[in-house]
Amino acid sequence: MLIAALRRVLLSCITLVMLTVFIFIATEIMPGDALDVSLSADEIAMIPPERLAKMKQDLGLDRPAPERLLSFLGGVLTLDFGKTLISKTPVTAIIGYPLRNSLILAGAVLLLAIPLALTIGIAAAVWQGRAIDNIASTGAIIGYSIPEFVIGTVLVMIFAVAWPVFPATITASTNDAALTLLAASPLAVVTVLIGSIAYLARLLRTGMVDALAKDFVERLRLTGIPEWRIVFLHALPAAIVPSLTAMALYAAALVSGIVVVELVFAYPGLGQELVRGVTRREVHVVQAIALCSAALVVALNFLADMAILALDPRTRRA
Amino acid sequence: MTELTRRSALLGATTLLAALDSALLGTASAQSGQPKRGGTLVYAQCSGNRRGGDASNAKHPYYMIDLITRSAYNTLTWVDEGLNIVNELATKLAPTDDKLNVWEVTVREGVKFHDGREVTAKDWASSFELHRRRNFASQQIKSTEVTGTHSLRFFLDAGNSEFPFVLAEYDNVVMPANEDFQKIGLTGIGTGPFKIVEADPQRRMVFERNENYWRKDQPFLDRLEVINREGQMESAINGFRSRQFDAVLNIDPRLVRQLSNEPETDVVPASSGDQAVIILPKHPGSPFLDKRIRQALAFAIDREAIVRIVYGGAKFGWMGNDSHMAGTDPMFAPRPVKRDVAKAKALLAEAGHPNGITLPTLYYAPQWPEMSRYFQVIQETVKEAGITLPIEERPNDGYLKFRQGEADVTKGNYHKFAYTAVGPRNPGISLFRMRGANNESGYWSGPAHDRYMDLYRTAMVTADAAKRKAIYAEMQQICFDEAPALLPAGRNNVLIKRPNIRGLNNHPQHWSITWDGVWKA
Repeated sequence: MLIAALRRVLLSCITLVMLTVFIFIATEIMPGDALDVSLSADEIAMIPPERLAKMKQDLGLDRPAPERLLSFLGGVLTLDFGKTLISKTPVTAIIGYPLRNSLILAGAVLLLAIPLALTIGIAAAVWQGRAIDNIASTGAIIGYSIPEFVIGTVLVMIFAVAWPVFPATITASTNDAALTLLAASPLAVVTVLIGSIAYLARLLRTGMVDALAKDFVERLRLTGIPEWRIVFLHALPAAIVPSLTAMALYAAALVSGIVVVELVFAYPGLGQELVRGVTRREVHVVQAIALCSAALVVALNFLADMAILALDPRTRRA
Repeated sequence: MTELTRRSALLGATTLLAALDSALLGTASAQSGQPKRGGTLVYAQCSGNRRGGDASNAKHPYYMIDLITRSAYNTLTWVDEGLNIVNELATKLAPTDDKLNVWEVTVREGVKFHDGREVTAKDWASSFELHRRRNFASQQIKSTEVTGTHSLRFFLDAGNSEFPFVLAEYDNVVMPANEDFQKIGLTGIGTGPFKIVEADPQRRMVFERNENYWRKDQPFLDRLEVINREGQMESAINGFRSRQFDAVLNIDPRLVRQLSNEPETDVVPASSGDQAVIILPKHPGSPFLDKRIRQALAFAIDREAIVRIVYGGAKFGWMGNDSHMAGTDPMFAPRPVKRDVAKAKALLAEAGHPNGITLPTLYYAPQWPEMSRYFQVIQETVKEAGITLPIEERPNDGYLKFRQGEADVTKGNYHKFAYTAVGPRNPGISLFRMRGANNESGYWSGPAHDRYMDLYRTAMVTADAAKRKAIYAEMQQICFDEAPALLPAGRNNVLIKRPNIRGLNNHPQHWSITWDGVWKA
């Protein structure tokens, strides 16, 4: 168990180092720089080229790439992501609240999605091939297939414009309290929730159908154990274990990947900050967000692996 | 048939009277136009926000949500909706001599900062220590000298007859003096109609009424909230439709027709706005080295069609004159002749292309959402003159570098046949943009260019506005004759608002909109 865990820690570290270099290269090939995009066409037309060159020099934009890579790697090791290029503010101060807000949104969604998806997935598996399964499976395919920006826009049209019960766009501040933020974001939560339930319910249904068809379940039934005990105490853990990695990756993707939803509703999360960082060529902000997202995926994947190791003795031999 | 009973007749009459009463009173109130004090106005702004503010500097005029500095700050002068210069916190502004390189300003007395301290010339001088280093239009200021409690002098590196326009730049606000120009303005204390009470960097700002504002009885609103929705037009309009916002600024021109038909929506165009510059490169091998081809293209473009098709008519768009001047600028000289396809063909034939010409690809980026349609209209209309104009959309990302090519021309990566946007500024700055050293002119050179620049230099030291107007007219005539670049048409800035929002005037310079006189009926 310990060796398996250490092996996974090592793999996670190697993955992170590779991702760090990849992120640096990705930000390096973005065209233009922070100074270019911080100036308007009027300003560019009026500032002499030699002054522009001096401004770039002052901002450190003319430093060679290897020098910047070393500086970035050194910073990552000490969890120092540097400062913004234009205003020289610590990057951690820029991404702190957006990261928190994305975690709040993802947390709220998962809190609602997991029990609902569990209920739907279990019901669909237990009554496989019956009306409830057909409805759940069809609903899941529809819910998962429709892009989130379509769901979001339809919800806005219905519940904010035609029947104005919820805000169409989130005007809460980035540093508002978690409950204030969530109260301002019901449509954003529901938009992400629909896709999440659809995905997780499908995942759990498949796992449950497999588990319920296993020989050990048949033997349990023959011993006369009540069906509810078989489902919840025996089949469900067996169904969850293979889904854990997928669920962990989904949770990580929720934090870093709901950019579209954040843009549709103007939710002050990491996705919106990333878009802003890219637009403004604030490469340190982009690097920090990308690295946080990558680290989250690696960390949750690692936790899922650990959980599987703990729950499934067969994997410890691998 | 239903019988008319006494009861229903009475009920009907009562309802009718009530409706009449309400309508008449309402009309009388609206027609009275008496501004009413109080209320909160929430608006969304959608223009590109280039300033990367954060928690440490979100109240600073250089970093707050772009273009709204006039809510909390004041400048010495202001450009009004007709693009005329008027005094704001300056009461007297004049050059000390004919060289026009030293300007003396008397600043308004009794103006107080939001913290209650009176503004003096020292604050102005201190503020300009930052502006002359950081504001692109103020770099000509070499130094300032405080000559009295409420007077100071500006020393410029050269004469500038239009220096009052520089003082109107939205960055050039007054802030409490600070010896360290890098720290000035961080507190967010200004003299403007509203005080900053909350600043969420790049997202939201909340202002409250400045009770000691120098314009007596203004502002009318108690509270102003600005929500930044740059690049999120749909989100802003949804917010307006769901009544979260009272107004939305910088509306996509393509949405104007649709929004005009929506209930409770006033569409308010400004008298003009930004325009598109088509850069005609003059590097070796470029067809635009031949003036006749440039002129042929200028004659072939159907400018009226652009205004009609792209902007929906003269209410929302305007025709340019191939100079950088805004259409409603008092010194704008309209293009002397209309579209002339026959003349375009003749010019092409004269240039050795009797059967028409295929031009290099014109590259554009969707910096404005209507740009695809804009260039499609140009492409179609120049076909009539035998001009084949390939167009290609490039991503906004990296477009600047792409179109400018490399400074080292030996590498062969020349500047491109491309487009950029230009805002409506004062004639001096606008016309200076056609200088040969600027990419927007396609690096124009030759005797006509030299004459153009001579006229510019003369205008800069000509104090008399009428004389300057004549000089500018000649410069615009040179642009017409030479067509160093093409500026066929522009957009009028558009905002939408609720009908109960009064006193909100749109402005060709969307950074010059003021909220002092805005009120809610």
